Order: sequence, then C-alpha cells, then structure tokens
Amino acid sequence: MIELNDVSKSYNNGRVKAVDALTLTVRPGEIFGFLGPNGAGKTTTIKLIVGLLRPDAGTIRVDGIDNQKEPVAAKAVTTYVPDTPAIYERLTGLEYLNFIGDVYGVPKADRLRRIEKWLDIFELAGAVSSPIQSYSHGMKQKIVLIAALLPAPRVMVLDEPMVGLDPRSAHHMKEMMRTHCDGGGTLFFSTHIMEVAEKLCDRIGIIHNGRLIAHGTLEELRARDREDQSLEKIFLELTER
Amino acid sequence: MTKFFRLVRVGLRVNFGLSLFRPKHLLENKRDIWLIPLILIGIAGLFPVLLYYLKGIRFMYRLLAPLGQQAALLTFAILMGQFLILVFGFYYVLSAFYFSRDLDLLIPLPVTPVQVLLSKFTVVVVNEYLTASPIVVPMLIAYGIHSRAGFRYWVTAVFVYLLLPVIPLAIVSLLVVGMMRFVNFSRKKDALIIIGSLVLMTGALGLQFWLRRMPDAGPGRQVLIQFFNEGGFVQKIGAKFPPSIWATRALAPETAGSEFVHFLLFAGVSALLFGALFFAARAFFYRGLIGLGEVAARRRRLSRERLSAHISSGHRPIRAIFLRELRIMNRTPIFLLNGVLSVILIPIIFILFAKAGGGKSGSDSYRIILLLASSNSAAVILGSALFMTICGCLNGTASSAFSREGAQFWMSKVIPTPPADQVKAKFLHSFAVAFLGILAAAVVAVAAIQADIVLVLISLPIAMAAAAALTALGMIIDLLRPLLKWTNPQKAIKQNLNVLIAFFAAAGILVGLTIAVTALLKRGIRGELVISGLALFLFVLAGLSFAFLLKIAARRYREIET
Repeated sequence: MIELNDVSKSYNNGRVKAVDALTLTVRPGEIFGFLGPNGAGKTTTIKLIVGLLRPDAGTIRVDGIDNQKEPVAAKAVTTYVPDTPAIYERLTGLEYLNFIGDVYGVPKADRLRRIEKWLDIFELAGAVSSPIQSYSHGMKQKIVLIAALLPAPRVMVLDEPMVGLDPRSAHHMKEMMRTHCDGGGTLFFSTHIMEVAEKLCDRIGIIHNGRLIAHGTLEELRARDREDQSLEKIFLELTER
Repeated sequence: MTKFFRLVRVGLRVNFGLSLFRPKHLLENKRDIWLIPLILIGIAGLFPVLLYYLKGIRFMYRLLAPLGQQAALLTFAILMGQFLILVFGFYYVLSAFYFSRDLDLLIPLPVTPVQVLLSKFTVVVVNEYLTASPIVVPMLIAYGIHSRAGFRYWVTAVFVYLLLPVIPLAIVSLLVVGMMRFVNFSRKKDALIIIGSLVLMTGALGLQFWLRRMPDAGPGRQVLIQFFNEGGFVQKIGAKFPPSIWATRALAPETAGSEFVHFLLFAGVSALLFGALFFAARAFFYRGLIGLGEVAARRRRLSRERLSAHISSGHRPIRAIFLRELRIMNRTPIFLLNGVLSVILIPIIFILFAKAGGGKSGSDSYRIILLLASSNSAAVILGSALFMTICGCLNGTASSAFSREGAQFWMSKVIPTPPADQVKAKFLHSFAVAFLGILAAAVVAVAAIQADIVLVLISLPIAMAAAAALTALGMIIDLLRPLLKWTNPQKAIKQNLNVLIAFFAAAGILVGLTIAVTALLKRGIRGELVISGLALFLFVLAGLSFAFLLKIAARRYREIET
C-alpha cells in the first residue's frame, strides 16, 4: 500500500511548486497508473515515494511505514525503476544483480531462481556476464527491471517503465505487473502511453501543475464527464483546463 | 563563428559551472559554513609555498642580475609552465576530444567538426591557465616588480600568459587527433588512457630525473648560476623549444625594439599551430571518433551451473558496497590512475626524486630520506610514519568517495542499507587504498633506503591512524558537498574541488604535526614520549573524525536530492 497525505514539494526556494498538497492511496493488489503532461509532477511524486526527495510537507507511508521516519524499513519493501537507467556501467549485469540481491538480503536459492527466470523472459541471459556499459538503452532498462523484481518487493514504483523496451519485453513487463499485483503487491507507475494505462491499470491518477486533478477507475473517470470517452480524450480535456 | 562562440560558452559553463568560478556553489548549503575555516587553512597552507617561491625568485634575480642573466628566470617559468601543460594536456585533450559524453549531443547538431573540436580546444586552453598559473603568474609578477618594469611589460605579460597554453596544447592535440585517426583504438579506450598516462608519467619522471642528475659544478650559487647562465641548462633547453625564448625576449628584450619581433614570433607560431589544428579537425576528427562510443563485449550465455557459481550466496551489505566501490574504482581508468596506481607509484617517484637529487638539493623529500636512514630511532619512526602517511593519503580516493557515484547516487539513496553502513563500506575501501600506499612506502623505505625494518613496523600503526583520520576527513568534505553532476569521470576526481580542499587540509594537518613534534623534540622531550603522544593524538583524531563521519551520514544522505 502507498499512502500520500497532503504531500507538497517545491523547488527554487518555494517558487516552483512541483507537487501541491497531494493526497492519494494505492491499495494492495492494485496497479495505479499516474498520468500527466511533461513537468506536471509525476517524477517528483515518484521520487518522493521512493525517498529520493524529501517532502516539504505531508507524510508518505509505504506498506504502512513512514518513509521519512523509518526510511530503511520503507526501502526494504520497495523497489524503483527510474525513467533513465543510470546504473553502474563498469559492473557486469550479474555483478549488478548480485549487488542488489546482497543489499536486499535475497537468499541464494531465490536469487538463482528469479535471475534465471527474468533473464530468460527478458532475453538477457547472453549478456549478463558483460559490462553494463556494453548494453543498449533497452538492455539497460531490462537489467534495472530485473533488479527491481529480484527482491520480490511488496511495492514497486516505476517511472516510464515501457520506454526503450521492445514489444515482446513490453508485453512481458505488463504480464509481470499484473502477476505482481495479483499476488498482493502494489504497483505505482507513470506513463504517457494511454493505451497501457487504459488496459492495465486498476485505477488512474492524473496530475497537472502539481495537483491531482482526477483519480479513480477508468469507469469513474468516464462517469465524471458523463460520456463514454477514451482515456486519451479525458486526459486531454482535464489537462487543458 | 557565432556557433563556435556559442559552443565555447556552453563548454565553459559545463566545465566551470559547478566548480571554481561560482562561489555560490562552494557553499551550496548554509550548514557548509564550517568549510570556510577549512578553505582558509588550505589557502593559508599555500602561502608558505608561495612565499618560499617568491623568496627564491628574489634570490635568483639578485644572483643573476649582475651577470645580466635574470631573464633566464622567465624562460624557466615559461618552459616549466608549458611542460606542465604538455603533460596534463594529454589527459584533458584526449578526454575532452574523444571520451566526453557531450559528444553524443554535439555530433548530431548542425555544427562542423572544426567548430566542435576548436571549441573543446578553447575550453581546455582555459583549463590550462589554472594548471600553469602557480608557476608562471608569480614569476611574471615578481620579475616585473624586481625589474621595475613599465606598462609595456605588464601588457605583454598578459598576452604571453594568454597565449602560453596554445603551443603545447596544439602540439598535443595534433598528436592525439592523428593518433586516434590512424591507430585503431576504438573499443580499447580504457587501455589507451592507462597506457598513455603511464607513458607520459614516465616521460615526466625521466625529465625530472635528468634535471636532477645535472653535473655538479660545486656548491650552492655556482650551480644555480650555471643552471641559468648564458649557455646554461635553461638556455639549452629553451633553444630546443624556442617559443619560451621568444616569450622571454618579448618580455625582456635584448635590444630595443626586438620585443615586438619576438612577440610576433611567439604569437605567430601559436596561430600557425592553431591553424594546423583547424585542418586536422576538418580532415580527421570525426573519423577518429567512429566506434569509440561502443564498448566491446562478447555475448555468451552462461550455463545453469556457471550462473549458479557466479551468483553470490549473500554478502553482507557492507561487503557488497565495498566490492562495488573496488570494482568501479579499479575499472574506471581515471579513478584507477588516481587511486591504486598513484599510491603504488608515489613512493617510487618520491625515492627516485630524492635519490636523484643527491644531497645537493636540500629538498623535503631528501630530508625525509635522511630521517629514514638516520641512526636515531625516534627520527626513523617519525620519518617513516610521515613518509607512509604522505604516500598513502595524498590521493583523491577518500575525497571523491561520494562524487565518484555521480548520476548513480540515486541507487545509494533507494537501497535498504543504512547510510552509516554505506559510509563504513566506503571508508573501508578508501582506507584499503591508503593502506596499500602505506605498505608500498614501507617496502620502499626498507628496500631502497635500508631503513630499519623493526622501526618501520613500529611506525606502521602511527601511519595507519593518521591515514584513518585523513581518510575520514576527506570523506567528510566530499559528503558535505558531493559533486554528483558530471559527464566525464575526470571531473569527479581530478577536477573536483573537494579533492583539492582535502589535500590542503591534510597537508595543513601534517605540517602542523611535524612542526609540533619538531618543537617538542627540540625542547628535549624524550623521543619515546613524543611518539607515544603523537600516536595517541592520531588515534583519538581518527576515532573522532570517523564518529563525526558516521554521525552526519544519515542526515546528508537524506539531504542530498538526486
């Protein structure tokens, strides 16, 4: 579960309000899609959830743990995939996965099983012993995804996870997201791809100028405008205001 | 032309934006206020060196003036400045021209290879003003004051200084551009940087060795006169590299009016080489770049057994982070050169310099050797402790421990390992590098200077305590103001102000302790007591600085936003 309560974050000494009094709950077993135009506050919200940024006000609880008061405990149940895969390029893929396994305390048997499974699914088994700097953008994205799956976290936070993935990998990724939540996990992700949000998400939130302007199931969002519109149209209408 | 200037402007902003020229970045956080005394100590640490240099210039000027050879001082400073630029320029040119990450952005832009290369060249030239300034600027100013120079001298001095890096950098650039075009270095850039750096280092060492092996012409003044006199060493070298003579003659003309001719020669050759670089850029630059961004890797699928063997059975997080630090440091050429390689080479260079200098230079390195070979046990212990500490700690490993993570620092923020544990792992890594330097110094002290092995072993814990304190200090400085926004790893360690601050802070502490210990010994306090007191002080200092480092870790990890 992810709970944001009246969370605000500003930059430039308060001049730019990136996130403004955001209150939101993502329930266990739920895929929550976070939409918004560029610069709306999606990445800032995600960075606040995973502890990369400190909120100016408000509280964030991950799996019931306050991420400011007990940051290490909150991180232990969360994994994160950033929008750009800036990872240790001088390590091999396997060394990177081992590092993640070590810091999250994943036992060897689980580690082997999960690494084998995800390397196969994402077709990365042939490259895992090579340095990450030799990977393409998509391969880097995949190794970060595998690293995020390795600890089998209760909460996954993904920032634009589909960018750079080939169609097959994107398909596997969507299946993985569903499986993760069907097993009781929580998944929060941002995307610009309306079709993915429409088909995959249990609930959707739309952020604009730092404020959550709408959230709910697709049906609830459609019901707001009393028309049977596509998510894309709803999004465009809401963010034009 | 406008595009060229815009590229230069962007290059300069990227290069200096977060470092020396924007004081607001020196103290990004109001809590960094404590840095002010440290920076002041660092600057104060520079003053004795500057004063020593200025005194030396005055002494030499007075010695050479009666012989009419005082202008050789200018030749010497210009030669040394250009030599430094030549050596350091190789790193800068190679990384700026070929290994800088902004190339991916620049190449697709509608700008020519000439504009890209020459703008990068201009940024490197500006960088090199800083490299040459400690030697050249004091000399130009001191010479002007001693010779009561007029307006013409000062104007010429400014232009000579501005043109100073152009000739050596253009030579290096032409060599690098040619080499990258005609030798297939693509996909082997790491090896290229390491081998190139070692070759240059050997060349620089060779020259130093040769300088110090000059035939002895008798004591003191006579040697110096021979060094600078007409037909002396400086003039001989200057004759082989005439730009330094032209620059000298432009500043201190032999005959009235000749200064203009010499300045024109100096400026003309600079322009000529710059022109040659223009053509080399057009013909060769982009062709040498093709394929450099790629990294070779053999793709092979691991069998289940091999995969299982390679998957760790679970290290403690501290060990995992230590291994990460070790691997990244040793696999990044610039980090390797400034870490492990430098701590191994420094003791060797130190001894080579001191031995090559014989007894005649009276240098600090020679004084330490005298201490190590002394029959006084206390002197040997203190001397070898100082020698080992210098060799182990005068590198940028600790003071770039956080900066080296750069854009990857987000991972350190999201992993569920307490910041104090992460800092412990980084401390262990930095201390391991320092310890390697201490061991290398110990081996050199025993093998090359025949220092008493037992006394060297006794000094080992003192050096280790000093190294622990200086490692923690360097890490504190870097943790308080990490440089995480860099595109070229060179910026994280070689051009990181934190490394410089830590260097001066460490030098200040070592100089202060040396003065205190010498004063106590001169007062007749027994050597054993002084050594015990020093060891106790260093252990307490190490403990306190390490505790402070751990204390600020959690707060700083929270505050650093990525």
